[in-house]
Amino acid sequence: MASAQVRALCVEANEFPELSNHFRVRGVPHTVINRRAAFVGALPEPDFVAATLEGAGVNVDEEPGPHQDVPTSSR
Amino acid sequence: MALIPDETRQQLKERFQTRLSGPVRLTLYTKPGSSRLVLPSGLGCPTCDDARQIAELIRDSAPDKVTLEIVDISQDGARAEIDEVFEVPTMAIAADTNPGRIRFQGLPTGSEFPALIDAVERVSSGDHGLKPETVTALAKLTEPTEVMVFATPT
Repeated sequence: MASAQVRALCVEANEFPELSNHFRVRGVPHTVINRRAAFVGALPEPDFVAATLEGAGVNVDEEPGPHQDVPTSSR
Repeated sequence: MALIPDETRQQLKERFQTRLSGPVRLTLYTKPGSSRLVLPSGLGCPTCDDARQIAELIRDSAPDKVTLEIVDISQDGARAEIDEVFEVPTMAIAADTNPGRIRFQGLPTGSEFPALIDAVERVSSGDHGLKPETVTALAKLTEPTEVMVFATPT
């Protein structure tokens, strides 16, 4: 909604095992940007955006903020 | 089987009354269902019928705001191609006539159901709820970008 460039797709991992295997999904949430770059875990908003931009190949040359409290869930 | 209890229907109706403001266009991409019959991969759609029930629940909870279009991609392959929907069931949410850019692939039950309801409400109100810094950062995206999140109902 905040960017006309972004399409968000939420995939039910169990229902599409071939897709999950293809992207090596071992835990959720598992996020894949442009079917290329990936990161695992529910990241805080600034980290999620940074990871998305990085995955999309956008040059992020600003100093990365100190976000040490990055929870990763794997189940 | 009634997938959705009456209590949930009532709750959603009341919730949507206060939270939906603008129109929401739901598109459900399906294939003819095969109910609980397990078919080889790519044939039929065991969860499409349940997905239709969820989509209809959302429409029926606010029929003055929400419209629902059901696209059978086995009949309308061209449309699937244009909208770039290759798997079913897929539910797309939009405020306008463009193909929805918020999509749920597979049955959005369990913890994915609140996410679906949240997406409907945000599209309706136009409030993405993101921080100003996030919006600024997202403006750097100049190419179409797909954010695909794998989730499970539990």
